[in-house]
Amino acid sequence: MSESRTKFYVNKQNKKWLGVCAGIADYMGWDVTLVRVGMVVITIAGAFPWSLIAYLATNWVAKERPYGLYSDREEEQFWQGVRRSPARTTREVRGKLRDIDRRLADVELHYTSRNRALADEIDSLR
Amino acid sequence: MEDVLVPIMVCAMLFVAMPWIILHYITRWKQQSGITNADENLLEELYEVARRLDDRLHTIERIMAAETPELEARRPAPELPRADIRKIRER
Repeated sequence: MSESRTKFYVNKQNKKWLGVCAGIADYMGWDVTLVRVGMVVITIAGAFPWSLIAYLATNWVAKERPYGLYSDREEEQFWQGVRRSPARTTREVRGKLRDIDRRLADVELHYTSRNRALADEIDSLR
Repeated sequence: MEDVLVPIMVCAMLFVAMPWIILHYITRWKQQSGITNADENLLEELYEVARRLDDRLHTIERIMAAETPELEARRPAPELPRADIRKIRER
């Protein structure tokens, strides 16, 4: 693995101005439009110079999001979950593995019981 | 004497004590909430393994369902491989 997926990145591929809002939306898994509207509303509502300063400072500090960080949508959602709550996501992965175990047990039971049925039939032919 | 000491004390508090406290709490907060790089790698690997196993098991379940129709009635198996479902969902 080359790039960390738990860092904050500025998203230049989906930018309107400098890509900070798109980066926040990526990080938290929110809608980009909502983040932008919220930013504008906060700026108008009284945080005029400060939100702008924070925006520029974020753009200066944060790295650009590397291209192809996630292979698909599901992976992106998974990492958004990790950033929000690592503990919960870990539990989810454990749940997934347990589900796999249960299903595999079903398959195993099916095949072993079928062999048993076959053995019974062979016995009856003797 | 007082006139000299008070500004020095204030300067020391402002420029040494305050950043110290702030940095101390920042590092503590980072230790608590974040996960380390090693944890991140481990979690990624586990997630990948779970996903691959899920895909393979899906294939096996489909084969099983095709072989034994009576099982299909009890517990319907997925029609498509998992990877295809994922592709459709992404569109």
